[in-house]
Amino acid sequence: MNTCRIETPRTCAEASALLQALPDARVLAGGTDVVVRLKDQLIWPPLVEISRLAELHGMTEVDGWLRLGALSTWTEIERAALTARHADVLVEAAREVGSPQIRNRGTLGGNVANASPAGDSLPALIVLDAELELRGTQSTRRVAVAQFCCAPGKTVLAHDELIVAIWVPVRAGWRGAFVRLGQRAALAISKVSVAVRVLRADGIVQDSRITLGAVAPTVLRVPEAEAVLRGQRLSAAVMQAAAEVVCAAARPITDIRSNEPYRRAMCGELLQRALARLAEPTNPSDPSDPSDPSDKIT
Amino acid sequence: MRYVGEALALVAAATLAQARAAAAAVVVQYEELPALFDMAAARQPGAPQLYKENNIFKELHITRGDPAAAFAHCAAVVAHTYRTPPQEHAYLETQGMLAVPQPGGVMQLYGSMQCPFYVRDGVAAVLGSTLGATQITQTSTGGAFGGKEDVPSLPAAHAALLAWRTRRPVRLIYERDEDIICTSKRHAAVIRSKYGADRDGLLRAVEIEYLVDGGAYATLSPIVLFRGVVHAAGPYRCPNVRVDGYAVATNHVPAGAFRGFGSPQVLFAAERQMDELARQLKLDPVELRRRNLLRAGDATITGQTLHASVGATDTLDTALAYVREHPLAPPPANAPHLKYGRGLSTIYYGVGLGVGGEYLARTGATIQINHDGSVVFAVGTTEIGQGMKTVLAQIVAEALGVPFASVEMLPTDTTRVPDSGPTVASRATTMSGNALLHAAGQLRERLNAVAAEVLGRAPLQISLHHGQIFADGAPAALSFAQLLHECAVRRVSLSAQGWHHPRPLKYDWQTGQGDTYVVFSFATNIAEVLVDERTGATTVLRVTAAHDVGKAISPAGVEGQIEGGTLQGIGYALTEEIVQANGVIRNPHFSTYIIPTACDMPELVPLIVEHPFPDGPFGAKGFGEQPLMGVAPAIANAVCNALSISQYELPLTPERVWAALHSA
Repeated sequence: MNTCRIETPRTCAEASALLQALPDARVLAGGTDVVVRLKDQLIWPPLVEISRLAELHGMTEVDGWLRLGALSTWTEIERAALTARHADVLVEAAREVGSPQIRNRGTLGGNVANASPAGDSLPALIVLDAELELRGTQSTRRVAVAQFCCAPGKTVLAHDELIVAIWVPVRAGWRGAFVRLGQRAALAISKVSVAVRVLRADGIVQDSRITLGAVAPTVLRVPEAEAVLRGQRLSAAVMQAAAEVVCAAARPITDIRSNEPYRRAMCGELLQRALARLAEPTNPSDPSDPSDPSDKIT
Repeated sequence: MRYVGEALALVAAATLAQARAAAAAVVVQYEELPALFDMAAARQPGAPQLYKENNIFKELHITRGDPAAAFAHCAAVVAHTYRTPPQEHAYLETQGMLAVPQPGGVMQLYGSMQCPFYVRDGVAAVLGSTLGATQITQTSTGGAFGGKEDVPSLPAAHAALLAWRTRRPVRLIYERDEDIICTSKRHAAVIRSKYGADRDGLLRAVEIEYLVDGGAYATLSPIVLFRGVVHAAGPYRCPNVRVDGYAVATNHVPAGAFRGFGSPQVLFAAERQMDELARQLKLDPVELRRRNLLRAGDATITGQTLHASVGATDTLDTALAYVREHPLAPPPANAPHLKYGRGLSTIYYGVGLGVGGEYLARTGATIQINHDGSVVFAVGTTEIGQGMKTVLAQIVAEALGVPFASVEMLPTDTTRVPDSGPTVASRATTMSGNALLHAAGQLRERLNAVAAEVLGRAPLQISLHHGQIFADGAPAALSFAQLLHECAVRRVSLSAQGWHHPRPLKYDWQTGQGDTYVVFSFATNIAEVLVDERTGATTVLRVTAAHDVGKAISPAGVEGQIEGGTLQGIGYALTEEIVQANGVIRNPHFSTYIIPTACDMPELVPLIVEHPFPDGPFGAKGFGEQPLMGVAPAIANAVCNALSISQYELPLTPERVWAALHSA
């Protein structure tokens, strides 16, 4: 069997120091991506296992921000009252991830750091205007999630830095939705995903955020589509117009999971579904809505 | 090297690191030769020849009547080309063998397998050793589906070679991606099919060309092709038939056995064709099938008259009645883009090895009653998750008249019974069941004789049920324990060997006419789906599956087989597809090769229909493969009906369905 060095730091400072000292080390959080990737490697890099870092756990509301410890699991996000109140779209994304076992292990920080174009947290966090708290040996900094990923698997994270927390601004009146398509009902990597958040007053869209997942090297925000919504009611015609804009903005590829024309068309379809749901009075059991886990049609 | 994944060198080491280092030290120099990854290209004149003659491993033909002339008189003719993908077995554990050299030169192997006698013959041939010096023990096998028919002989021979060379035990277990890359798949197929019917919907002419991609070695392709051509037109009467089957050589990983064995591909085409024909004739697809289904006394396309155990129409009626009596809730009114569709398929399956594998069609068994009343039996077929152990123990208990709980099956091992052929072709219940009945009959004769002597009766007056002895139907003053004691006193052997082989079949290989299999099982599947016309995604709501199994010896086991096979069929219909580019499998992981999970499982309704097979144990006929076979065409027909489209290719991914809607 493989053997490897595992460090279990107690503080962020220790962890960063270890990372600095071990240039080939990998950070291990829930392991749902890292372990899968290491499985076939004969020589494992040193692992810095961060579950003992107290600061990376827990959720709190601080000065108009929701602070999500980087080690918050999908299951915790799915169930917490704080996320339900301030991060509806992230809760919907969390429900779509993997399987119960994966949701129990996998962490929000890990999904962000993995920087997969199909990672389900990223479109949701970007429409929430979320920021990352990154801490290294020298300093702590805040980076918008939208600025964090530069290419598939590539981020602005320095080697000695950890994602300590994800900060979500608490904003009244916004409502969000996350919808996606996978190759089967569960345990499926997204082939297209759409996250939307909308602020309306008297039914008129004041502001919005729209992102697309798995249709470009990194998650795409589509300001042109947001512009279509601004000042409008969420009518069928407006949703249709926004859908056309996201289809044009998408840059999908054909790969093992889907193909280019289908992915492009589904960006529009999923956006319309997400917006249609926001346009309706809340109806969580709407069977036409593929993002709702209760939509099993029987 | 003929395919990516072919073994090149063997390395054994004490640690994985050593083994990897040794493998990395092997330097291979390749001279690249032209390769073939497409059946059409392989059949082109001037194509590179992978073997000496042409790129055809095997061709088989069925000719009956004069289809060319008959088409001219048909009121409706439908002609389409169908395509099906390679399918991965996705059994629980990967291929794995443990080779242990024994004192005295015997090579002992333990592993996951369907066919210990194949493994024995393969290992002995590679080691140049005798069959007697080769002992194969099957270990618990969690599903095989044909993937552990011929393939385990390869890792077994590899492990045995290394064990022979090192004189040490060698363990060889594939990683999942290795297993998917280098072991057999269901044959990818192209089926060109032309059906003609008269005004009343009676099939008058069928012409089918069936191409299967055999991959780089012939392996089981010839016999897979045989089952394919025999099943090519489904369970229907047709007087004018031409079927041309070709197993084509390419540089893909060799294709092999997989539940259904060459028939799911042609049955997909056949049952889609029946719906296409019904559409053209403006006839109810159920009615079209009903008018053409085989009944007792009818002949198949090979001219084989079916005398008994023909439950085709009964499965159709049973499934329809269930669906009629249990309507699903209508689709939600606020989701007009979700389209409901219902589709059906009626299929048949030739049980056992048939005329193509007749030389292997024999089976041995032994039963021993111990002096404490416990019973052990051994057979040459294997438990691979299909429930054989339970069914055979039931047969032994019933035949001996002892309690089920007192009967145990020994692990299948090549030294316990004579060569009993493979555990394939849905043959274990009928073949090992009959061999056990033969052995149990001998034991019953001895028990009855001793009991009669002790009780002062004639042997015919004695009967045994659940370990209790009866004389003329009344409980006798003799316990089973006492009877065993009396046998011991008389030194009567309570061990017996059974043997079974089916009646011979006559078949003309030139014309493709004659008897192909000893009996056929039948099934009707009704699939009900909701298709999202905006995304092309199909949700299977319910599959109602009625199977004529002759006699369900273990009804719960039959239902389990139907449920498992149906889910596997749903995968074949909707998501499963091995994707290859220049001979390289691009999705050798369960994250990219998409089998259904529990969340994709619809309501499954298994329905048992029993038309007894006179030569089967208690009337049973095999059916283990059948649950998968008719699911894909039923779902495809349901999707086509839901959207009023025609689909000719599996799997019906959302991408494919969406493209069909947008090209129309």
